[in-house]
Amino acid sequence: MVVSDIKAGSAFRVLRVTLGKEVGKRLADMGFTEGAEGEVIRAGFLRGPYQVRIRGYDILLRRSEAAGIEIAPLPENVGAAK
Amino acid sequence: MSAELKEGAERGCLRIALAGNPNAGKTSLFNALTGAHHKVGNYPGVTVEKREGSRFRRGREYRFIDLPGIYSLTAYSIDEVVARDFLLDERPDLIIDVLDSTNLERNLYLCLQFQELGIPVVGALNMSDEAEAKGIRIDEKALTAVLGLPMTKTVGTKGSGLDALLDLVDAAVETELSLAGPGRPTRSIRYGDEIEARIEPIEEAIASDPEFALRFPTRWLAVKLLEKDANAYERLAAHRDAARVEGLAKAATAWIERHHAKDAEIVVSEQRYGYIRGAARESVKIARRPDFSVTEAIDKVIMNRFLALPIFVGVLWALFQLTFSIGAYPQAWLESLFGWLSLTLQSALPQGLFRSLLVDGIIGGVGGVFSFVPLIVILFFLLSLLEDIGYMSRAAFATDKFLHAFGLHGQSIFPMILGFGCSVPAIMAARTLKSRRDRIVTILVIPFMSCGAKLPVHVLLAAAFFPRHAASVVMAIYAIGVLLSLVSSFVLKKTILRGDPTPFVMELPPYRAPTLSGLLWHVWEKTWQYMKKAGTVILASSILIWAITSFPKYSIPQAELDSLAQSYQVSHPGAGKPQLEAYLKASSAEAGLEHSAAGQIGKFIVPAFRPLGFDWKISVATITGVAAKEVIVSTMGILYRVGAEGSAESASLRQALRSDSAFSPLIAFVLMLFVLIIPPCLAALATIKAELGWAWLGFAISFMFILGWSLSMGVFQIGTLIGG
Repeated sequence: MVVSDIKAGSAFRVLRVTLGKEVGKRLADMGFTEGAEGEVIRAGFLRGPYQVRIRGYDILLRRSEAAGIEIAPLPENVGAAK
Repeated sequence: MSAELKEGAERGCLRIALAGNPNAGKTSLFNALTGAHHKVGNYPGVTVEKREGSRFRRGREYRFIDLPGIYSLTAYSIDEVVARDFLLDERPDLIIDVLDSTNLERNLYLCLQFQELGIPVVGALNMSDEAEAKGIRIDEKALTAVLGLPMTKTVGTKGSGLDALLDLVDAAVETELSLAGPGRPTRSIRYGDEIEARIEPIEEAIASDPEFALRFPTRWLAVKLLEKDANAYERLAAHRDAARVEGLAKAATAWIERHHAKDAEIVVSEQRYGYIRGAARESVKIARRPDFSVTEAIDKVIMNRFLALPIFVGVLWALFQLTFSIGAYPQAWLESLFGWLSLTLQSALPQGLFRSLLVDGIIGGVGGVFSFVPLIVILFFLLSLLEDIGYMSRAAFATDKFLHAFGLHGQSIFPMILGFGCSVPAIMAARTLKSRRDRIVTILVIPFMSCGAKLPVHVLLAAAFFPRHAASVVMAIYAIGVLLSLVSSFVLKKTILRGDPTPFVMELPPYRAPTLSGLLWHVWEKTWQYMKKAGTVILASSILIWAITSFPKYSIPQAELDSLAQSYQVSHPGAGKPQLEAYLKASSAEAGLEHSAAGQIGKFIVPAFRPLGFDWKISVATITGVAAKEVIVSTMGILYRVGAEGSAESASLRQALRSDSAFSPLIAFVLMLFVLIIPPCLAALATIKAELGWAWLGFAISFMFILGWSLSMGVFQIGTLIGG
């Protein structure tokens, strides 16, 4: 599963970033490392940028980046999102 | 201990870099530390602004350099390259790391990298009031102990905690001076025994070239080599034994990747965040879930997936409405001031060259332009307000999908809006774009965002030739500009700047109340750039234009005057003596102009402009617009001899234009279009050159000129055919 697969309001734990070198490193620098927990806040119009909360701050990612972050959904919030 | 620090301490002047993440309140802390003692310059080779300021305390000068905000020393954007290069190449005596206390984990990530530089670091836990309000309690003593780095709480916007911070700086300097040995970090993050065992031999190999080790911190370089940082490898090339170091680093990288089954640079990041987690566990208590409620409530509307884009358009519309409705008042005052000035001078000075230079040349040229300064100030004020509040990243969110379809980037939106004010700061603002292709495209299309200097031209022509629809015509020109920027970026991205789409990774800071001093400082900086241009380029070109329109002197032969008078009396039977005199005066002025240098130049270039419907006067005015677009208005003022009243609002210049048979509404529209598209002013061109180099400057000039000429020609020819 990747960040762009889950609904707004759902929490996740990062497994790994599968994007190329430079973006992958930047996302790691910004806090997307294994084990980090986050939450998808909202997605823009027509799957426009995603607003994701990670390490206590918010970041915008385009769908192509959100689709490169493998995650495990956190169960309690997946239940709450339904 | 670094030699520079010792020297600095002895001189009583410390060079301190103020560094940290974007949105950590670095600039407000800088302002609080330095008060009014500012100097704004540029970093060598790039137009990234470099602010320097000093504070004096107990006989010591603290000279602060405000670095651009960065997330990591693995540079990603130009800002980050500048900050990294400054720290590595200029070696400040000390770094104050400005940390956003509400967002400590990610801010400490950069801090750990500073610690590896072998420069003493002091941490300013900034925005500590905001953190406390959010229920984040930081024990700075515990954090200091865990990280081995002195830290204290500050609030930059209120100027609190500054003395404690400077005390820490003094203490850090004393500690550093008492230590022996080269600039090796006293304490920095450990990456775990296995990785450390591989860093150590790399560090030793780097240190084997003592001269090289003096220039670059060995610890930092060893880690960056593991992170496969391209710039670190470039710097390594200067090492006496570069091949051996490289071999060791590559072997270590390969081992880590085999062992952890991921990229080594990711492993390093994970280690850093793991270390931060450990440090935070002992020193940061979060009383409750962090509170995002205010920002979240606003964003529910502002960032709503359907409303975000319409709201953005509304914000833009309000921006212009406010600018023009508020700006009209000071603009009118300035105009009457310059009008009064020229009338006073006119009556106080004897007729002659000097009066003509002063009234027709200088006041006519510069005055007409200065009356637009209030508009620019208000526009910049509102833009800075949006930026400081935190709206600009929301605008990027709202527009990214749309801009992306045209080959632009969500982050292009701020530079492009800024372009409505002035292209110079707008082109500079494009440096936040990560990809060079995105930067080039954004910079190339920024001039199509009709700037504040083109506005007087549009206003003058629209008011003269479309009196009933002036506002709509000006709006149409703006819309054409926006459309052109979108279409050209689409075409550029499909042709010469083709490539993979660049990532969109952008922090979304919470809304923050702007401070008045911060706002005024922003406005002052941008306005000052504009005023400098008006004071220098426009003054000089006004004098030059006055000179080429006044010399060589020509007086119309008496015989010619007589025949003009005769034909006038024939065509205007019953006209009185005053009318005849006025006619003769105008005719001799026009003849003088035609024989002046400007007239010669105009006649020489007019063939190139005839397909666009321009006569020699319009051609001359357009050419002078190269200096600055407002100069077109002042040139017309001088060409049509309406002196100081030659501003866009002046009725007499409008009348003079309207009564010129060489003009028509169609030609006026074509001229507006031409001015919109052709290459921008010298200042903007110089900025493009500084940002992108000569080759792209050449491309930009030919691209804009060819596009502007052919589009204007097309409109004129079709318009004439239809019967314009």
